[in-house]
Amino acid sequence: MKRKLTGFAALAALAIMAQAGTAAAQDCAVKVGVVYPTSIDWGKPIAATALWVTDMINEAGGIDGCKFEAVLRDDQSDPKVGVDAAKALVDLDKVQLLLGTVASGVTIPMLTSVTAPAGVMQMSCCSSSNRLTQIAAEGTTKGLWFRTFATSNVQASVAAILARDSGYKTISILYKNDDWGQDIAKLAAAAFEAAGVTVVGSTAITDGQPSYRAEVTEALGAKADAVYMAIYPKEGISVVREWLSLGGTQNIIGTNSLKSDEFKEAVGMRYLANFQGTDTSTPRTDSATAFVDAYTAQFGAAPSGPGLPNSFDAAAIALLAYAAAGKDAKGADIAAKVPMVTDPAGEKIGGTVEGFTKALALLKEGKSVSYQGGTGAVVFDANGDVSAPAVAWAFGDSGIEEKRYIPLEEVGAFMDSMAK
Amino acid sequence: MIQNLVDGILTGSIYSLAAIGMTMVMHMLRFANFSYAELLGIGGYAALVFDRLFAALVPALGVAIEPLTLTWALVLAMLVAMVITGASAVLFDWLVFKRIRAKADALSMVFASFGVALIVRNVITLIFGHKAELYSQDIAFAVVLSRDPMLLVKPDQIFTLVAALVLMLAFHLVLTRTTFGYALRAVAENPNLSQVSGVRLSSMVTAVWMIGGGLSAAAGVFYAMTNHLSPVMGHNFVLPVFAATIVGGIGSVYGAVLGGFIVGIASGLALMVLPSGYTPAMPFVIILAVLLVRPHGLFGEDRDA
Repeated sequence: MKRKLTGFAALAALAIMAQAGTAAAQDCAVKVGVVYPTSIDWGKPIAATALWVTDMINEAGGIDGCKFEAVLRDDQSDPKVGVDAAKALVDLDKVQLLLGTVASGVTIPMLTSVTAPAGVMQMSCCSSSNRLTQIAAEGTTKGLWFRTFATSNVQASVAAILARDSGYKTISILYKNDDWGQDIAKLAAAAFEAAGVTVVGSTAITDGQPSYRAEVTEALGAKADAVYMAIYPKEGISVVREWLSLGGTQNIIGTNSLKSDEFKEAVGMRYLANFQGTDTSTPRTDSATAFVDAYTAQFGAAPSGPGLPNSFDAAAIALLAYAAAGKDAKGADIAAKVPMVTDPAGEKIGGTVEGFTKALALLKEGKSVSYQGGTGAVVFDANGDVSAPAVAWAFGDSGIEEKRYIPLEEVGAFMDSMAK
Repeated sequence: MIQNLVDGILTGSIYSLAAIGMTMVMHMLRFANFSYAELLGIGGYAALVFDRLFAALVPALGVAIEPLTLTWALVLAMLVAMVITGASAVLFDWLVFKRIRAKADALSMVFASFGVALIVRNVITLIFGHKAELYSQDIAFAVVLSRDPMLLVKPDQIFTLVAALVLMLAFHLVLTRTTFGYALRAVAENPNLSQVSGVRLSSMVTAVWMIGGGLSAAAGVFYAMTNHLSPVMGHNFVLPVFAATIVGGIGSVYGAVLGGFIVGIASGLALMVLPSGYTPAMPFVIILAVLLVRPHGLFGEDRDA
C-alpha cells in the first residue's frame, strides 16, 4: 500500500513537471478555465466543442502573440464538485475567464461563491434557470456573467406577442404546478402586461388529479378573451376538454410542451382551430448551417446533443473578448469587451479560423465586430441573457404546422420593450 | 360559489360510488385495499371495448342520445363492464387475496394490494397504451342554468349524478329489503356470528367483490364520460376514494356516500380559500379533521368495543 502511494506521488510529481514543461515551452500561455460535466455522456461533446474553439482561435492568432490554454475540469453535474473545480481554477490557475457549466444548480453556486467574488468572468453555454437572471439583476454578478442559452422568457415573450397580435385584451393563465410551470407563468404574466394584455387570473394545475373541474371553473370565472396554457399533454387533455365544455374560449395559446399528437387527437382538431403554440427555434441563418457543417467535419457526426452551438458561441465570444482585452486583462476588462464582439453594427464575422483571424485583427484596431455563430447573431442583455428566435405553431390536419418564424431581432426588441 | 358547490356534488357522486364498494371490502376483509381504485380503470376500459364492439355490430346503437354524448352502445357496454369488473375483482381475490388471507396478516394484504394495483395499471397500459382514450370525440358543451350567479352544468354530468344516485338507491333497497341484504349486513357486522346463523361466508365475499367491482366500473365509466380514460385514472382516484371511505367510517355504506360528497364538495370549495397549487391537499385535511373529532369516521363504529 505504502509503495503504491509513493508510486502515485511520483506520478503526480512527474505530471506536474510535465505540465510545467509545456508551460515553459509556450512561455506566455493564457489560461482559461473550462468546467463542464465531462463524465456525463452529453457533457463530453459540449466540452470538446469549447476546446475545439480554443484551438481555432489559437490558430487564428491567439492573444497578444500568446496561446490560450484551456484548463478543463469536470463538474460531474454536482454543485460541490463544480465549486471545487472553479475554486481550483481561480485560486491555483489564476484564470480570469471561466467557461461553464450546464446545470443551473451547479452554475449558480460557482458564480455566486467563486467567480463573481473573485472578479472572474463566467460564461455558460447551457444554464437556463431564470434564477440566474434574478441574481444578475440583483447585481451579485457585477456584470461578469453571461450565457448563450435562452431562458423560458423567450417563449413567454412570444406568447405575449401572439396575444397582442391576435387582439386579445384579457388573458387567463393555467400553469403546471412545478418549477418550470411556475417560472414560465410568472414570466408570461409580466410579458402579457408589457404587451398590453391584462392577466385576469392565474391558476395552478397539479398533475395526477382525478378532476380539474374546480381549477377550470376558477379560471373561467375571470371571463378572459383568451387562455394561456403552460401545461403538459397528460393533464392538458382533461383541462382543455373541461375548459371547452364549460364554454371557455377556444382562443388558446400554449407552450411547446403541448406539441403533441395525442393532445391534438384527444381534444379534437375542430376545437383547436384558434390554438396557437410557441416554441424556441434554432436560427434560420447561414451561420447556424455553417456551424453544423463545420462540426460534422470536425467530429465526424452532426451536432445532435443539447447545447453544442451554445457551447461553441460561448467559447468563441468569451475568447474573442479576452483577446480584445489583452493578455493581462482582468475579468471585468474581458466582460467590458463582450459588447464589441457582439455589436450588431460591427462587421459580420463567422465562426471559422478565417473569421476569427479577421475578428482578432479588427478588434486590435479597436473596431467592433458582429459575431455570427451557431446560435445566430448573439446579443446579451444587461443580465447576460440572450434571446433566441422563436416559432409560432398550430395544429393542422397532418400534424403540427409552423405558422410563423419570429426572428431573434423581433423577440429581442419585444424583450427590450418589456425591460423599459 | 354555487358553481363550485355544484361541481363538487357532481365530482363527489363518482367518489361516493367508488367508496361504497371500498368500504364494504375494507370492512369485511379487514385490510386497506390499495388496488381497489384500479377497478375503475378496468371498468372504464372494458366499457370502451364493448362500446366500440356494439357500435360496430349495430350502428344504430352508436348514435348519441341527445343532449348527452352517451350512446345506447355505451349503456349496454357499461352493464357488461360492471359484470366483467366484478368478475375480475373476484378473480384477484381468488388468485391473490384469498391465498394471503389464509396464511398471513393484514399488512401482507396491504402490500399485495399495491402489487395488484401495479400489475393492473401496467396491463391496461400494455393493451391500450399510455394515450388518453375517449368514448366520444365530441365535447359535450355545458348548459347555462343561470347567468347570475353563473351556473354551468354539462348534461352528461346531470346524467351521471342521477345514474349514480339510482345505483346507490338500488343498492340501499337490496341491503334493507332482501334476505341477501340482511346476510350481507350480518357478515359485515360479525363474520363468525353470521356463519353460525347459516350464512356462507365465501359466497358473501364473492358477492361483495361483485357488487364493489360493478359499482366501481360504473364510477369509472361515469368518470371517463365526463373526463377521459387513461391507465392512471384508477391511481388518481386512490386518495379521494380512501378519504371518502375513512371520513364516512369504514364499513358504513351511507357514510361512504356522504364521505364521497364531502370530499368532492370540499375539493371544489377549497379553491375559494386556498391558492390553486394547494387544493390537492384538501382530501388529507378532511381526513385529519374528521379523525381528530371522530376517530372512527362519521358513521364508523369502534371495532374493539
